[in-house]
Amino acid sequence: MNFDLLDRERKEKILKSALSVRGRSLWSDARRRLFKNKAAVTGLIILSIILLFSLFGPLFLQYKFDQTNWDTIYQAPNLQNGHYFGTDGNGRDLLVRILYGGRLSLTIGVIATLVSVFIGVTYGTISGYLGGKIDIVMMRIVEILYAMPYLIFVIILMVVFGRNIYLLFIAIGAVEWLTMARIVRGQTISLKEKEFIETSKALGQSTFLIIVKHIIPNLAGPIIVYITLMVPAVIILESFLSFLGLGVQEPLTSWGVLISEGSRDMETAWWLLIFPGTFMVLTLASLNFIGDGLRDALDPKEY
Amino acid sequence: MIKLIIKRLLVAIPTLIVIIAFVFILMRLAPGGPFTNERALPPEIEKNIQAAYNLDKSIPEQFLIYVSNITKGDFGPSFKYKDFTVNELILSGFPVSLTLGLSSIIVALFLGVFLGTVAGIKRNTYFDHIIMSVSLIGICVPSFVLAPILSLFFGLYLGLLPISGWNNGNILNLILPITALSLPQIAVISRMMRASTIETLNSNFIKTARSKGLSQKIIIRKHVLRESILPIIDYLAPASAGLMTGSIIIEQIFGLPGIGRYFVVGALQRDYTLVSGVMILYATLLIILILFSDILRAFLDPRVKLK
Amino acid sequence: MNEILKVTNLSVRFDTPEGLFSAVKNISFDINEGKCLGIVGESGSGKTQTFFSITGLLSNNGACDGSALFKGINLLGKDSKKISKLRGKEIGFIFQDPMTSLTPHMKIGNQMIEALIYHEKTGKREALKKAKDILSIVRMPRIENIMQKYPHELSGGMKQRVMIGISLMCNPSLIIADEPTTALDVTTQKDILNIFNELKLNKNITIALISHDIGVIAEVSDDIMVMNEGKLIEKGSCNQILKEPKKEYTKHLLSCIPEWLN
Repeated sequence: MNFDLLDRERKEKILKSALSVRGRSLWSDARRRLFKNKAAVTGLIILSIILLFSLFGPLFLQYKFDQTNWDTIYQAPNLQNGHYFGTDGNGRDLLVRILYGGRLSLTIGVIATLVSVFIGVTYGTISGYLGGKIDIVMMRIVEILYAMPYLIFVIILMVVFGRNIYLLFIAIGAVEWLTMARIVRGQTISLKEKEFIETSKALGQSTFLIIVKHIIPNLAGPIIVYITLMVPAVIILESFLSFLGLGVQEPLTSWGVLISEGSRDMETAWWLLIFPGTFMVLTLASLNFIGDGLRDALDPKEY
Repeated sequence: MIKLIIKRLLVAIPTLIVIIAFVFILMRLAPGGPFTNERALPPEIEKNIQAAYNLDKSIPEQFLIYVSNITKGDFGPSFKYKDFTVNELILSGFPVSLTLGLSSIIVALFLGVFLGTVAGIKRNTYFDHIIMSVSLIGICVPSFVLAPILSLFFGLYLGLLPISGWNNGNILNLILPITALSLPQIAVISRMMRASTIETLNSNFIKTARSKGLSQKIIIRKHVLRESILPIIDYLAPASAGLMTGSIIIEQIFGLPGIGRYFVVGALQRDYTLVSGVMILYATLLIILILFSDILRAFLDPRVKLK
Repeated sequence: MNEILKVTNLSVRFDTPEGLFSAVKNISFDINEGKCLGIVGESGSGKTQTFFSITGLLSNNGACDGSALFKGINLLGKDSKKISKLRGKEIGFIFQDPMTSLTPHMKIGNQMIEALIYHEKTGKREALKKAKDILSIVRMPRIENIMQKYPHELSGGMKQRVMIGISLMCNPSLIIADEPTTALDVTTQKDILNIFNELKLNKNITIALISHDIGVIAEVSDDIMVMNEGKLIEKGSCNQILKEPKKEYTKHLLSCIPEWLN
């Protein structure tokens, strides 16, 4: 039954011509799809604006983030005196504090995510590449850790070791790497069987070199998607801790701290809750849109 | 089935021991004992206190005492609430937290599955778009932002619902906390359910069911739901973990005297026995839940039994 | 001879993100009662979509026009209730992939009797008895045992027998078999084709057999219809198409079968 064989070849030819992909690379293709996605583009724009504001906004404002003023306690938003978003119970300007809080929240989000990606990628590639008993044991450990109420762990870490912002990075990063490790392991296992890895092995490259030069670059797609979806999760986590009084400490501030203060004072000063809340929600939504957009762009199985 | 349960228990028990050991080590590593903040005590009293809390024994001994006490269900005296044991504190908070958590997970499951299924069936209609937009809000607005806004709006401006207090479990007092706690989970569950409904509807066996000429209602009820709900069963444990941590904040915001509140107070005041007691309770509950969802999964999906 | 299905000017389109895609282009054909029509063509030639559109199984983004008279009722007409009554009762469907075509969480017996109970309000016991009879027609071994099993516990060939059994439950007059043997190994393939031949000869069931494999088609078909890129290339009796094809494309298809088969 040669017909079967030929059929398959022809089928492939037809498929190729039908797709009309003329040498476009995966990445430029993905970029094109991403920019076609309205939600993702909106998210990118909003996120850029918030980033730029947080970075450079304070330079153009007349107040400092820790500048207290007992004459201007709980002032409602006011365009005349420059307190555009009003002031808090210490007379500090809310807008400046939101922008500073944004810097901190976003920094923690990015750094803790990088920590977790580093741990997750290392763990996942090693487990997946070595395989066998080591893989089984390593994945069993992940499974056990999954069963733990990790946020409560972070709280305990913060309690025991004091409320230190660097520790916060590490603590959050250290509990969020599990999913990453799983994804990377799965991808590594499927990559391991590919011809180009076999070739490198046949050429006598060391395991370490193969992992660094061939496997990790090929994991770029899922890692990037994961990072964009991870940053908002970390921001929420940090805010959660700060809300409980276990995260960032005065006079430093983060969105979580501001929301926490705002919810305490909301009966007298609604703006203290609504403005930081809006900033945070917008950022989270943008990141989620971008993450979803990236995932669809890199893995277009829907069509 | 029994094999599966035994296998899961074999994983669950070491997990629990690891957690207990971890908590114990952290507590011993903690800089500054529970009494360091207080003024210096005469040596004899200091000694008596140390003995009362078993702090004068060696670390391995302390661990053994700790574990054997826990297996007896005794978490020891609270460091800060000096007149209470941790058991008493947990027992007083547990009914509140359990009511809150159980009602939230039931609401989240029921609404999430229902909305997600309908959105999946009516894919790309207005109904679908509305559900998905609302659920996006649920995902992007963390509960600690949502909760104060809800109480600001319904409690203070409209004056419809009480914004704080337990009031012996009055349903009115529970509406806002349950809403704030379950909304993020409703959002996640409805999105998962939508995706899995769409996937199931596109699968070949649904085509077979259609080719039998069955009505849409029967197809959804008998063929789609049992399959599309499986991811939700797997999500049950993570969802409950999310609710547990969420309840810590929600109890704080709405002034509910649950376990979460003791946990925060304990954490802020370094009440180590209280914190570790709550921690171990949470972990145990979670492990039971994972076991439960595994069994439920095996019950619903005949393919599992083969493994 | 009277035709059981008469299709005229059928077109099928799909609304894809890349624009409208025309899958079937204005084709007409008919099937005579008690005969087997083989539809042959490559993947993507529109042969499956032709029959999906007739039986209302097109995916949501598909649309069709034209007419398809089944025993005088237009299947593409407005009365969707009547049509879905016909589907499953008068028209049975067998799909390509038996591995995924059965509902994983339902026992074989329950899947078989479902349509019978729904369409003819038969009692469960009676329906189960009928299911056993049908399974013996498709030569299923250990029937009692099989009825209590879940799909994942059966082999591919057994699943396909179950699929054929399901399509036979309501005594249909037409069976549409979409690549019924493609996923199976060669000996099972032979068994299944033999069952088709028996159904045609002993039960006077009309069969529309869709396949990319002209060898399979030749085993059971009375008439053959060749499709390519949504168009009908040629149709005729089995002998005529195999021995004296008129069109270049058909000749090309036939040249792909090794000589010794002819």
